[in-house]
Amino acid sequence: MTERVINLKSFFEEARAGRLTGIRCGGCGELAIPPKEFCAACQQRDWRPVPLAGGGTIVSFTVIRVAPRGRGGEVPYAVGVVKLEEGVSLLGRIVDIPFETLKGGLPVRFRPLQIDTQTVIGFGPA
Amino acid sequence: MRRVAVIGVGVTKFGKHDRTSAELFAAAAADAITDAEIAPSAVQALYFGNVTGGETERQLHMGPLAATLLGLPTIPTTRFENACATSHVAFRHAVMEIASGVSDVVLVGGAERVLNVPTESATEFFAYCSDASIEQPAGLTFPGVFALIARAHMDKYGTTEEQMAHVAVKNHRHGVLNPKAQFQKEISLETVLRSAYVADPLKLFDCCPFTDGGAALVLASEDVARRHRRPIWVLGTHAATDTMFVHEKRDLARVTATERAAQGAYRQAGKTPTDVDVAEVHDCFTIAEIVATEGLGFFEPGTGGLAAEKGWTSLGGKLPVNPSGGLKAKGHPIGATGAAQIAEIVTQLRGEAGRRQVDGARTGLTHTLGGNTATVLVSLFGRD
Repeated sequence: MTERVINLKSFFEEARAGRLTGIRCGGCGELAIPPKEFCAACQQRDWRPVPLAGGGTIVSFTVIRVAPRGRGGEVPYAVGVVKLEEGVSLLGRIVDIPFETLKGGLPVRFRPLQIDTQTVIGFGPA
Repeated sequence: MRRVAVIGVGVTKFGKHDRTSAELFAAAAADAITDAEIAPSAVQALYFGNVTGGETERQLHMGPLAATLLGLPTIPTTRFENACATSHVAFRHAVMEIASGVSDVVLVGGAERVLNVPTESATEFFAYCSDASIEQPAGLTFPGVFALIARAHMDKYGTTEEQMAHVAVKNHRHGVLNPKAQFQKEISLETVLRSAYVADPLKLFDCCPFTDGGAALVLASEDVARRHRRPIWVLGTHAATDTMFVHEKRDLARVTATERAAQGAYRQAGKTPTDVDVAEVHDCFTIAEIVATEGLGFFEPGTGGLAAEKGWTSLGGKLPVNPSGGLKAKGHPIGATGAAQIAEIVTQLRGEAGRRQVDGARTGLTHTLGGNTATVLVSLFGRD
């Protein structure tokens, strides 16, 4: 099989429609985002896409106050790593949660964001 | 495999320059060749590092350009890019070219120039070293990456913002002793703690600066080095990679690539962390030095902050870390940094570091980290 079951483009197309998708290894059950060829855990090439519910908790976060060129109008904004309830983690923008209430372990829920024309992984209140 | 030595070092002043990256490298390289006391024509190859030249100077194909400006227009050149670890990666490959017997004398190093563009542009170009599918669109910056690490370290071990500030104060104190450093000025704990947040919990004075500069090393085989009056031997050099995605790191409070690179380098050298007399480690942010000193085995996990607070890593402490001032005060021209760290350790092991000399240093270590903690190199050096 040379075609991946899901690639980055289709991952973001699905995410844009509100559907978060991971891949599960048929060899060892490892769950991963984003798509890749071999499983880093067992070296098999036997992935299948699995829908993810979108709920999770914050692992770590930061509030960015100095932004790259073209994004100065967005500061301050929060970015965090979220551990999804299925066990796999994902990084995204954290929105609609007051900065002072952000903390490790806080429940959040996936939501797609559109920034300019780009689909961005986002997380809002659970 | 043949033994390899560093026989020449050259580093430009770090700071703002009106010279191009290739010019900065050529100047450092000429100093390194002069320091090595070899004829320029003895150099058989150039391993050159640069990261952002395409963006900041519209200049690619910089290897031949640097060789041309150096006055060695016919030697083979290779350009390396591994984010902030660039010239340490180039160094490892140059070591392998000599160890394998392909060449006897190789020039290696790098240069960067970013102070000719606005800070927001430099921030953008550096962010290209993170993933462009998930991380850049989310607005993640490099201070942001290390802020995520800092928060995880604080949550797991109780590390404090004040402990991180001690790293900045210490490295600025060291930088005062380094005439090549970008900042040669002491700062107070209050200055660090009162500076503005860049990416919480990291503040302006937790971050290294943007820097222009170049650094170069002349490496030689044992038979060439033996004719030299002060060879510093490469005892071990090891590279490790970790997943590029921040969200895939198994534990954000650790840098596993540092741990694996260190284990490989110690094994090659037949050394342990307690053998190290002086170290230059990658302190792009204060938390990065804390996590590095733990991953290198100098201190137990979770105690790197305490080590900085207690002065164990200061000049005069039990293990001086970043006597050059580190990336924090010496500056961080990302394509040059790995070579500049090695130049400092070579200078220390020669006993030529002047007011920042670690007395009697026999074994030194350099640690360079690239990107989202995805690339890490560790090398060990010793004198006869």
